[in-house]
Amino acid sequence: MTRSLKLFLTFLLTDTIFNITAITATLLLAERFNGIGMWSKFQVVFLVGYATLTEGLLEMFFGYNILFMSRRLGRGQLDHILVQPQSIWLAFFTEGFNPFTASGSVLIGLLLIIWSSIELHLHISFLWICFALLNVVASMSVVLFFCFCWSSLAFWAPRAAEEITTPLMRIFRSLDAFPFDGLSFLLLSGVTVIVPVAFVAWYPSRYLLGLDTSILNAMLTPLVALGISILALFVFKKGLEHYGRTGSQRYDSLGHRG
Amino acid sequence: MVAPARNATTASDIVVELSGVYKTFYQRQRSEKLSDIFRNLIRPQIREVHALQNISLRIHRGEIVAYAGPNGAGKSTTVKLLSSVLAPDQGTICVLGLDPWRDRRRYVNKIGVVFGQRTELWWDHPVASSFEWKRVVWDIPDERYQRMLAILKELLGLNEFFNSLARELSLGQKMRADLGLALIHEPEILFLDEPTIGLDVLAKRNVLQFIKDLNQRKNVTIMVTSHDMSDLEELAGRIVMIDKGKIAYDGDFGRLRSEFADRRRLVIETSAPLPPKLTGAKFIESQGIRHEYVFDASHVKIAALLEEASVQTQILDVETHRAPIDEVIADIYEKWQKDKATHP
Repeated sequence: MTRSLKLFLTFLLTDTIFNITAITATLLLAERFNGIGMWSKFQVVFLVGYATLTEGLLEMFFGYNILFMSRRLGRGQLDHILVQPQSIWLAFFTEGFNPFTASGSVLIGLLLIIWSSIELHLHISFLWICFALLNVVASMSVVLFFCFCWSSLAFWAPRAAEEITTPLMRIFRSLDAFPFDGLSFLLLSGVTVIVPVAFVAWYPSRYLLGLDTSILNAMLTPLVALGISILALFVFKKGLEHYGRTGSQRYDSLGHRG
Repeated sequence: MVAPARNATTASDIVVELSGVYKTFYQRQRSEKLSDIFRNLIRPQIREVHALQNISLRIHRGEIVAYAGPNGAGKSTTVKLLSSVLAPDQGTICVLGLDPWRDRRRYVNKIGVVFGQRTELWWDHPVASSFEWKRVVWDIPDERYQRMLAILKELLGLNEFFNSLARELSLGQKMRADLGLALIHEPEILFLDEPTIGLDVLAKRNVLQFIKDLNQRKNVTIMVTSHDMSDLEELAGRIVMIDKGKIAYDGDFGRLRSEFADRRRLVIETSAPLPPKLTGAKFIESQGIRHEYVFDASHVKIAALLEEASVQTQILDVETHRAPIDEVIADIYEKWQKDKATHP
């Protein structure tokens, strides 16, 4: 936007169209069958809105390189951060900040949440908003730190793990807007433990829609986010120690500070 | 402020000190054989590369030190250790009273680093944005920033491309911008890893001149690595040469020449096109009646060569000059390689 308003508006428009098409399949399914499983049509709309909002915010704040930290590590670009007089984390988070990118997703996510909330006559209290914000942050953290964890493998295997975040994000993006009720224990374990996609939208939406109002359900996603972030920090620290010993034998400027 | 002469320093001025530093890398060995692929999964073959072995080095404030050595000698590893990018396996590194790896954040505030093959510029943004970014991240007071920016713009001629996108700059402009970026926070020490790589002669001359000016005007301590020995000789009063991870020479260029070989060139113009045969001098080439030789002045007297030539032909003119430093260094590297082959 700072360089060209026309470019910004074009980008916003295409981003919005792209995001609408990405969620159309789920919305059409919900429309055709008047919901999916035990979820009504507008509950599905809420779920899709929540997932889109989470994805949009992730993209907006961390989409440039940070979410794809494996690329930075794999390409030997951590050296650029190590010569800066600030914490590595601060550098990671601030360099990934891209305020207008993905604002199309955020906009659509918010609109879908508002629309479905009105149609569902949700009782929006201050506490509900607080839990909603907490869960959105937690959902973002689940994805971010889960990717961080796997990205840290690039410390040990820079070439093999350079693009490891890409398939992870593909899994998140393709599954996060589906209700997982009715899944077998094995499959549910897959979407909660192996790839915690259930915490991106499904668990938080269940609480926010009043499908499960227990406090445990309200706090489950933040607790999972906390656990994954501790694990990610541990793995990253170990990786950084390894990096101090070995450095990076690879260097590629691709994607660096674009 | 005018800096003191490059080598006129005292022990209390030591700003860089490496003591018994070791650094070893482990490289997995791979072959195309299928059996090796499976064997490597269970028991990988690892090759130890001793990048640095017991390196001890002191650099005084205001010195320009050339750090040279053949490919794979350990130059870049040293620069990375001094830039807080790597930690030593053994030994201590103390720069400006700090440990580069442990005190990273405080330390990098006091140094500037330029890696010739990498850029710190924000690729898709104007050069000005990179400087602004640096001002914020390094927390440079506005007055200091503006003062340094004005100096750097003048010395490096940044004005002509300051508002252009970094990706649109030529190699020389990019290097000038990178140098400016490395210096905007007024570092006490500057580490330059191949700063002239890929530059044309004019850009190279400008960069070298700037480094010398900077050392003179600001008393900045500079450690520079380069493959171009004439660059290093032009810049530095002292050269540290490493080979196989060990310091092989530490002193000035003059002593380097005399210690290893006082290599000189002799050009004689004779009345006949046939070059005379000279014992102790190696014939290089003839151009008409001009014949060029190279010899080691520490072993062969020039008078003896001329006497030998005059017996064979009539000498019309004589020129002699020191061989370029690159040739001296090439001889040294060759000698090291032979030693390595003899004593692996």
